[in-house]
Amino acid sequence: MVRRVRLVLLVVSLVVLQTTAFTHLRIFGAIPDLCLVATVAIAYEEGPERAALFGFLSGLFLDLFLSSPLGLSALSQAVVGYGVGAFQGAMLRESRTMPAFLSAGAGLLGGAIFALVGAVAGEAGYLTGTSLRVIIVAAIYDAVVALPVFAFARWANHDPEIGYSRRR
Amino acid sequence: MVVYRRDQREARRRPVLLIVVVAALVLITIDSRGSGLIDSARRSARDALQPVQSIVDSAFNPVRNVVDGITSYGSVKDQNALLKRRVAKLEGRLLRDRAVGSEVGELERLLDLPTIDDATGVAARVVSGSPDNFERTVIVNKGASKGVQLSQPVVAGNGLVGKVTAVTSEEATVTLIDAPGFGVGVRLEGSNESGVAEGRTGDRTMRLSFLSRQLPLCAENAAADTCMRKGELVFTTAVANAAFPPDIPVAKVKNRTKRVGELEATITLTPLVDLDDITYVKILRWPGP
Repeated sequence: MVRRVRLVLLVVSLVVLQTTAFTHLRIFGAIPDLCLVATVAIAYEEGPERAALFGFLSGLFLDLFLSSPLGLSALSQAVVGYGVGAFQGAMLRESRTMPAFLSAGAGLLGGAIFALVGAVAGEAGYLTGTSLRVIIVAAIYDAVVALPVFAFARWANHDPEIGYSRRR
Repeated sequence: MVVYRRDQREARRRPVLLIVVVAALVLITIDSRGSGLIDSARRSARDALQPVQSIVDSAFNPVRNVVDGITSYGSVKDQNALLKRRVAKLEGRLLRDRAVGSEVGELERLLDLPTIDDATGVAARVVSGSPDNFERTVIVNKGASKGVQLSQPVVAGNGLVGKVTAVTSEEATVTLIDAPGFGVGVRLEGSNESGVAEGRTGDRTMRLSFLSRQLPLCAENAAADTCMRKGELVFTTAVANAAFPPDIPVAKVKNRTKRVGELEATITLTPLVDLDDITYVKILRWPGP
């Protein structure tokens, strides 16, 4: 129960930060996708299934604050969460820089899915050279914010009674 | 045995991903076609989180000011914004005078078409930009409670900014004129030829298409109504039931290029308003009550 409340707090906090503070902290027109990075953190801890579910729900909540079609962030984050969880489970060694690298990779994949599906859904200007540049810059930005977001996500995912659960 | 367990685990994983992907695709399809239920869910979520966003935004203000630069810190920034607003307003009046000075203004009066002077408005402050990487929007601090409605035009002192595309009780989302897919009917200042100014992706410019007559760039001493000049202004057109009031300055001609084999020249426009640095806007009640 405590863990669920913390996870809700995590998602709400990240969406508030992304829709307020980070809109003024654009770098070359790009901002990080905090919920996507949190999904990567959950995938790192919990594996693909829970990451897909967390990514879907957090993405759906974020979508309520965007002009793009509802479900677009949910889709990209769910697929990325599943992919990162599966990839991380297959890895033999973990390292300190892993969160940053995973977040950057997830940013590229998530951005590509978002742009591609958005274009198919009829959103204008999603498949252009500029979009590619923005996706790359945003992925680097995702890597930069990975450390604090991972720490926050780990705290939220921690149940004080049973400790961390790594169900992979 | 190991292989069997892995297969079993893989089989268990697939339905979770499949279910969320299908659910997301269904939602995308429904929302793309337009859904009142999703719109009201959006409004409710935004209204619910708005007070928290407001507090966080205010708390973040000092950091934002530092990021914006030392010159616009604290009271200097407020003063600067006020001065910019006044200058932009005066520039806008000057540019509108240029439009009214042309024959179109007289014709509009003859035809009894509504003008920008007929539109009252609500002044609003830009509180944040787009929360994702693919939108060209800003959020303003006035919403339905102040009479703001969907599709209302938004102007800054010196020109058109965009239109309202989402409204909650206390805030509104404004899609900027250089957003991909955004189109506005315009006319050229010199020749009065009409066309459509469309947003382009990423490069902060617009493209002028569907001109009623193809015009070359002006040579020296050429008559203004037979060509176009770099820097020439484009204004919103005056047509019945238009989405925007007539004679609002929109952009100026940046360049015109025509490659061999192309049917239509590419005319690039630069929006008059610095859309990356807007502090105050006016939301026009258009068409008026």
